[in-house]
Amino acid sequence: MKFIVSSTGLLKHLNQISGVLNSNNTLPILDHFLFQVEGNSLSISLSDLETTMTTKMDLDKSAKDGSFCAPAKILLDILKTFSEQPLSFDIDEKTMGIELSSDHGKYKVPGASADEFPKAIELEGGEKIKMSSSALFGGINKSLFATGNDEMRPIMSGILFEINEDNLTFVATDAHKLVKYVRSDVKAKKASTFILPKKPNNLLKSLLSTTDAEVELSYSNTNAHFSIGDVQLVCRLIDGKYPNYDAVIPKENPNKLTIDRHAFLNSLRRVSLFSNKTTHQIRLKFAGSELHISAEDLDFSNEASERLTCSYEGEDMEIGFNARFIVEMMNNLDSDQVTLEMSAPNRAGIIRSLDGLDESEDVLMLVMPIMLNA
Amino acid sequence: MIISHFDLDTFFVSVERLLDSRLNGRPILIGGVTDRGVVASCSYEARTFGVHSAMPMRLARELCPQAVVIRGNTSNYSKYSQMVTEIMKESVPVLEKSSIDEFYCDLTGMDQFFGCMKMAHELRERIIRETGLPISFGLSHNKTVSKIATGEAKPNNEMEIAPGQEKPFLAPLSVKKIPMVGNKTYQSLRNLGVQKIKTIQEMPMEMMERVFGKHGIDIWKKAQGVDKSIVVPYSERKSISSERTFERDTIDVVKLKGILAAMAENLAFQLRRGDKLTACITVKVRYSDFNTHSLQARIPYSAADHLLIPKVNELFNRLYDKRLLVRLVGVRFSHLVGGGHQINLFEDSEEMISLYQAMDRMRNRFGDRAVLRASGMGAKTIGQTMNPFTGEPPMLLANRHA
Repeated sequence: MKFIVSSTGLLKHLNQISGVLNSNNTLPILDHFLFQVEGNSLSISLSDLETTMTTKMDLDKSAKDGSFCAPAKILLDILKTFSEQPLSFDIDEKTMGIELSSDHGKYKVPGASADEFPKAIELEGGEKIKMSSSALFGGINKSLFATGNDEMRPIMSGILFEINEDNLTFVATDAHKLVKYVRSDVKAKKASTFILPKKPNNLLKSLLSTTDAEVELSYSNTNAHFSIGDVQLVCRLIDGKYPNYDAVIPKENPNKLTIDRHAFLNSLRRVSLFSNKTTHQIRLKFAGSELHISAEDLDFSNEASERLTCSYEGEDMEIGFNARFIVEMMNNLDSDQVTLEMSAPNRAGIIRSLDGLDESEDVLMLVMPIMLNA
Repeated sequence: MIISHFDLDTFFVSVERLLDSRLNGRPILIGGVTDRGVVASCSYEARTFGVHSAMPMRLARELCPQAVVIRGNTSNYSKYSQMVTEIMKESVPVLEKSSIDEFYCDLTGMDQFFGCMKMAHELRERIIRETGLPISFGLSHNKTVSKIATGEAKPNNEMEIAPGQEKPFLAPLSVKKIPMVGNKTYQSLRNLGVQKIKTIQEMPMEMMERVFGKHGIDIWKKAQGVDKSIVVPYSERKSISSERTFERDTIDVVKLKGILAAMAENLAFQLRRGDKLTACITVKVRYSDFNTHSLQARIPYSAADHLLIPKVNELFNRLYDKRLLVRLVGVRFSHLVGGGHQINLFEDSEEMISLYQAMDRMRNRFGDRAVLRASGMGAKTIGQTMNPFTGEPPMLLANRHA
């Protein structure tokens, strides 16, 4: 079989799905792209067994329908070196040898039979909803940093999708911080929940940052299927029960700080440089309309403190946090003003943004404090 | 560099004699009084009977039946050690307290003003005058030579090794006098036919390296009178630990677990008091045949009882699978880092956090053992009265080998 394709067009499409590639696969076939030619259309897939991504593009010319697998790394590497030009692929259907011809010369590489490539997962039953790419991107982008890395608790390594008649809620937590992002412009007829693993979240995040095509999402108990423009992503879901996050978000938080996000972020960045390099522990002290941020590292005799004017309602208090958590949160918010609501030094602090959000979105970030010695 | 090493002579004995003058001139043994105990310190009178420290108390009593045996009181010793430390701190620019009765002073540059030997001599006189404790010192160009010189000067004397005289001074001494050479290395050296430091001085360095590896190079350098290590004024505690030798070996698992839990509880409190977290737990078991096994585990940084005690328990369960009589159990927390407990959203309840804070307040006010888990109440002597994070060296326990 034989076909001709534009070099930069092919590279663009391969890059859309190349994130699926693992650096060390046990199955050699997982290091291959699956090429399927049908008429003038080429679809390319990559899979790691858990997640499969497929992209579609038009061919300049094709002689015969067929499919084959091509080694991913060498193909990506050579495509990066070509300027825009037509490339012709010629596949020997007996030996699965691939011959690539460019303006410069010929390149040969062994391929593999399409039968070896893992079969695509078919969704059985399941629901189907539509949403804007900004809704999905917002949900993943705002919450992904809060997912856990603990292999002992795989559930917390993913993002919880909670869909019902009113909205779609994204939740991520590693037991020290939590993000809850609600989109009221996404609705489903039937309420359901699933946990999407970290890797497809990362893949979707980078894909969505380049496109604004509408997203079609279908899901069953075990799999989810995202269809975004030319690209399809099918993945297995994390099996298990997500912790009851709503119960641990404190409802009564009488102490409320309102502060300029940029000023707060810059102060935190500076002060945390002087905190312990492992625990990143900082102290926030609220008194009147003044916020006192301090950190120390006894091992190196480092010490820092800053004063910020803010608006604060509630009792004077002192609370300890891991500075990295709050810096991450401040970085993931877009507003000018943020609020930090607290009740006691041993209970969660809740961060919300006051402005900069769409009408249809709402975000809540929760951070657990560090126990301070009185 | 000019460094002097001060060492209080038979420190524990000297303190006891200050408190009770009837002990003067008599052979004295200080250490565990039970049969399991070892000699922590003994007077020069007792040494003439062949007694030395770290010897089992039972044997020491046989060698020297007329000796006065004293249990020893660590808080008295700390108090006198502190008095000496205060005097030293006032007089020298850089002071390292390397143990309860040993000090290194960096006197570099002082010779321009005072004359180092004169200064060290006056300091020694002052300590003897103000505390009544005999003390010896050695003065030379580095720590190792000064320490060996102190050993040679003892009891209650002083010695200066002039620059360039290090090698001739060390040459006639036994290799055992080098601080790094313990029993095992000494035996290996003797098997090689090495007895005097002079022999090591004449050996090529490569030969020491072949036999002892990196360790050998260090020994060789020290034998040449070369030691580049500096006087460190403050040393961070790298780990805290607790261990217990039983009067009678036991297989009572409930008792063992109770003691381990009590140790973990106490150490966890020490961590919290010092604003520290641990990331590595080690459990140690010594069987009646002296075979010692230990098992360690990495954990996320923590100082919370409810995370540490179950982990200690789990390690003990994995470690103790022999049903043999146990002589000693111990717990160690290492990989310490400064900081408070990061509260967990799902696992830590507010009540739990408040409980820790309340218990720690009680302990700070009324002492370490003011409040305990019931399971650990049987273990009577667990618990350190000292805060381990003050920069002071750990107290040598009477039942532990030096």
